[in-house]
Amino acid sequence: MPLARLIACGLLAVALNATAAPLVPGFDRFPGPTGGALLFLELGCANCHPGPRPGLPRQAPLLPGLAQRARPDWVRSFLADPRASRPGSNMPSLFSGPDDPRIEPVLHYLLSLKPPSAKKRELGKDVNAERGSELYHTIGCAACHDPSPDFHPPAGRPQPGEATYAAVAFPQLRDKYSLESLARFLEAPAAVRPDGRMPGFGLKPTEATDIAAHLLDFQDSDPRNAAKLGRFSPDPALVARGAEIYARMRCAACHEPGAVVATVPIADASGGCLTAGRGGELPFYDLNEAQRKALQAPDGTPSPIHALNCLACHSDQGTGGPDPARGRYFVGDEALGDSGRLPPPLTGIGHKLQPGWLDGVLKGGNRVRPYLSTRMPLYPAQAAVLAAAFQEAHPLPPMVDESRTDLEAGRTLLGTQGGVNCITCHTWGSRPSLGIQALDLSALEKRLQPEWFRTYLLDPAAYRPGTLMPPLWPGGKSMIPDVLEGDPERQIASIWAFIAKGEGLPAGFPDLASGAFELIPKDRAIVQRAFLHGAGPQAILAGFPGGVNLAYNGETGQPARMWRGRFFDAYSTWFVRAAPFEEPLGTDILDWPSEPQTPAIRFRGYRLEPDGSPVFLLETGGVEIAEHFSARDGALRRELSWTGPLVEPVWTHPSGAAVIEEPAGAPAKRCFVYRWKP
Amino acid sequence: MRSRISIAALLLHLTVSSPAGPETSYQRLDILTASTGSNSRDQDWKPGKGLVLEVSGLCWIGPDRLGVAIRKGEIWFIDGVLGDDPAAMTYTLFASGLQEPLGLLPDGDGFLVAQRAELTRLRDTDGDGRADEYRTAARGWGVTGAYHGYAYGPERDGAGHLWITLNLDMGEHSDNTKGWRGWSLIASPDGEILPQSAGLRSPSGMGTNREGDLFVTDQQGTWVPATPIHHLRKGVFHTNPEGIASAALPGSPLKLSAPMPANVLYPEAVRALPEMVPAAVWLPYNKMGRSATDLQLIDTGGKFGPFEGQLLVGEFTNSAIHRVFLEKVGGEWQGACFSFLDGFPSAVLRLAFAPDGSLFVGMTNRGWSSLGNRAYGLQRVRWTGKQGFAIREMRAKPDGFELTFTEPVDPRSASRPDSWQMTSFTYLHSSAYGSDEMDTLPVTIRSAEPAADGLSVRLRCSGLRELYVHELHAPGLRSAAGAPLLDPRAFYTLNRLPGS
Repeated sequence: MPLARLIACGLLAVALNATAAPLVPGFDRFPGPTGGALLFLELGCANCHPGPRPGLPRQAPLLPGLAQRARPDWVRSFLADPRASRPGSNMPSLFSGPDDPRIEPVLHYLLSLKPPSAKKRELGKDVNAERGSELYHTIGCAACHDPSPDFHPPAGRPQPGEATYAAVAFPQLRDKYSLESLARFLEAPAAVRPDGRMPGFGLKPTEATDIAAHLLDFQDSDPRNAAKLGRFSPDPALVARGAEIYARMRCAACHEPGAVVATVPIADASGGCLTAGRGGELPFYDLNEAQRKALQAPDGTPSPIHALNCLACHSDQGTGGPDPARGRYFVGDEALGDSGRLPPPLTGIGHKLQPGWLDGVLKGGNRVRPYLSTRMPLYPAQAAVLAAAFQEAHPLPPMVDESRTDLEAGRTLLGTQGGVNCITCHTWGSRPSLGIQALDLSALEKRLQPEWFRTYLLDPAAYRPGTLMPPLWPGGKSMIPDVLEGDPERQIASIWAFIAKGEGLPAGFPDLASGAFELIPKDRAIVQRAFLHGAGPQAILAGFPGGVNLAYNGETGQPARMWRGRFFDAYSTWFVRAAPFEEPLGTDILDWPSEPQTPAIRFRGYRLEPDGSPVFLLETGGVEIAEHFSARDGALRRELSWTGPLVEPVWTHPSGAAVIEEPAGAPAKRCFVYRWKP
Repeated sequence: MRSRISIAALLLHLTVSSPAGPETSYQRLDILTASTGSNSRDQDWKPGKGLVLEVSGLCWIGPDRLGVAIRKGEIWFIDGVLGDDPAAMTYTLFASGLQEPLGLLPDGDGFLVAQRAELTRLRDTDGDGRADEYRTAARGWGVTGAYHGYAYGPERDGAGHLWITLNLDMGEHSDNTKGWRGWSLIASPDGEILPQSAGLRSPSGMGTNREGDLFVTDQQGTWVPATPIHHLRKGVFHTNPEGIASAALPGSPLKLSAPMPANVLYPEAVRALPEMVPAAVWLPYNKMGRSATDLQLIDTGGKFGPFEGQLLVGEFTNSAIHRVFLEKVGGEWQGACFSFLDGFPSAVLRLAFAPDGSLFVGMTNRGWSSLGNRAYGLQRVRWTGKQGFAIREMRAKPDGFELTFTEPVDPRSASRPDSWQMTSFTYLHSSAYGSDEMDTLPVTIRSAEPAADGLSVRLRCSGLRELYVHELHAPGLRSAAGAPLLDPRAFYTLNRLPGS
């Protein structure tokens, strides 16, 4: 069934792409009567025609300030033929073409409209289109708009047939915007488009400028070199005539300035705007056959979830979410599976989130998934209507009463010492989890409704198929019979209670302050492999009694770093799944040059002397070299010996060290002693 | 004391809830399992007490000595491990300082172990019982520092080759464009690596069957729709193309003769790309665990029950062990999987048979999670000599299947076609993280004929589809003694119909 749907959508996408019709995102998913109602709303039909007014009316861009936003030539050509300037534009054609004598007065009128605020925006000193491209392709822009062919997401470029719906096309952006005006728009789209169809992302000014630079292909790093909009001086006579035309053509039905009441009853649903041609009295929408048919029999009131195209990123009861092509631009923490890169489903969201929390999410706060690259857009003006749409009719079964919970049982259950191991995967406040870094549990009660929490824990996959969250109460039964008599209801409620009211940490977090994993060479050297900054992912560390330490690069077969004092804390190397690159624990780090020695050396392992000190085994040009490190009197000794005719490599030394070569006492031997300078 | 009680309670609970793992057939002895107070932060470990036995490699050394690799980078020997009293077993540290060793194999006078950066040969040259030589036995694969860049093995196939499998990198520092990530390799005696097959994702366990052919499990995820078991061979591609770029490197035995298929049903993908060899067996996600690990041949002379010659499959998330029957059809291995034992206290990562035919189960769940909520553990599983009513084997026939059983079936219930139900399905081959079951259709069971001895039943079916997983349910079947099957399900991966 999903495959069949995939194929059907694919065919539809091809059909939509092939026409010059207005593009209404989301219509592809609902091509029938539901889609008709969506079109009626999204094409602004309800702005002229009386009828039920849906919660989120379509509002065209605010026109005051147009001169500070767009280039006059572009506005002129857009008025002449909107969909030639911007494919898929929902603006109907109102003029007969470029020669329509009404265009010039309207242009002068529009460009005379003063912006509400004339504050100039600073572009900063430095702009970077590449950074902008990275943002554009990872924060969610590509969910609705086309990605660039030269950006390669980690999973590779989309394959043919993966795109199942059309992208919202751009106009020729360089013809329309300057770097400054596009950046200003991206920073606060609602200032121009208040209806939320193009939402804001809460971009920082530099981010907006970088994305604008990417979209305009402005590759310079100095924003001052970007082309300006230029000045336009409106002719007062033309402005006055333009204002009359603007009023007569009912532009104010959709645009500011002005407001026009919807007074045009629909006499004939088979004609009117649906069949109007270009240049006539009626707006010309250039509808395709599917759209015309859907508009003739619209059914129902469109959900704001569809009008705002939430389904571009979220799934809702199995529908929506990015198609395979767009899905490639949703990236995050691969270790969390699809939950680590795709925004959460909207299914049952009204049951899931606390109303106050949901309001915060919609208004730009309450972000709890640091691993998602995609950002949730901001819908401050639409939050109330959306929240109402999310409300659920049927309540979920309740959690057991708090009087039957036990905070200490909750602490145990959350933890790894006889619990269900929540903290193996989930972070807790500032504490990283022991494994994959899934969503923070420490303040869930502020976010979630307890009834949803209970239902979800009993069967996580029912809410999010394919989630990595295992069923911890499989079949509704507890795996922990010795906590609260194995009663799943009391166990889940106790976890909730600890999250809400418990003090301290769930059981099993390591004690950070103990330093219990510090390796301390007492009577013999300690050798430990690790990922170490400055010594690479094949580092071999050797700590010697007396506080002299070495990191050897096992990739290149040469020493990399030496330091004094404490040797190494092995905690992360031994027990943290993320296996971070580590740092030496001590001080006075001296580094060898990082360039590989010449001729190249092959690393062949090491052996340990009776005192535990390592002898690295190397080979070059068929000759075996043994490289013994030891510590004596606070210095590091490096003894090299080989058998056979060796073309000696240029032995390098740590910069900043006092290097003494001791007489080796025999051929085919060298001995260097490295000391810290006083 | 508290831990004993809780484990006993746990087992009791599982006896009730788990039809596939009856405690009457297989008895488990806890050798060392993390208890409520795992003393994992004690610097001065007391063997057998505070030892963090996150088992990542198991091998049998002497008549009563088990070698254990643990994830923090150590090799331990446990002596007296076949005794009944865990407190009487002694632990000796053999090697330390390794980085995430994920295998352990005796070889000559030493041991081979794959760690992140290389295959290492450990030897004790001065006879003090501690390794003093950590010689590189093979290296040359890409090591970036990405946490997911694990190396597994080695495992010896029937021809004596030493195999290593490499995870794809993930997370920070990842680079799968070179360095054979997602490949299987053979370590040559002169220390080189010989790449063999591509298309793996997280191949955490290998095992050899009786014929000496080598198999590997992989983890469901991107480009891996469920849990596959692949027959490793030179020059083949499995499922995941994220590491395919290494095919262009010198030494690659793989040349793709067609574009990489994507977003098509798995059988179409296999047909579109000649080098893409279908998985010998699919373990359907959730129905048969979620993440398979080690493979272990049952070769105990019957000491481990009636499943000789089959492969055991370790299971991480569900803390279980599955069972796989393989047969050669048209020159290729295929077969069926069955549930076997579950309810282990932690994630099962490694399996090894003792000389006496008991099974050692090595566990660790750090980094992921498992139904068994202990951090790590080691258990011994012994067959009690009794066996419940189970499907022993499932063989493909040109017009259906032949099932054999551990006990005679009740001929009346066996011959009723409505005692049996079958569907077949496949997966979507795509970059998505796992796949739903796709294109599911019913298979008609026309007749079911029990053999005269009741130990086998012949099913004649219509609607069999090559390269599809065939899911059998036999809820109505009873043994001659009137018992239902311990688990009425079996999953046969019908890559080829015999005689086709």
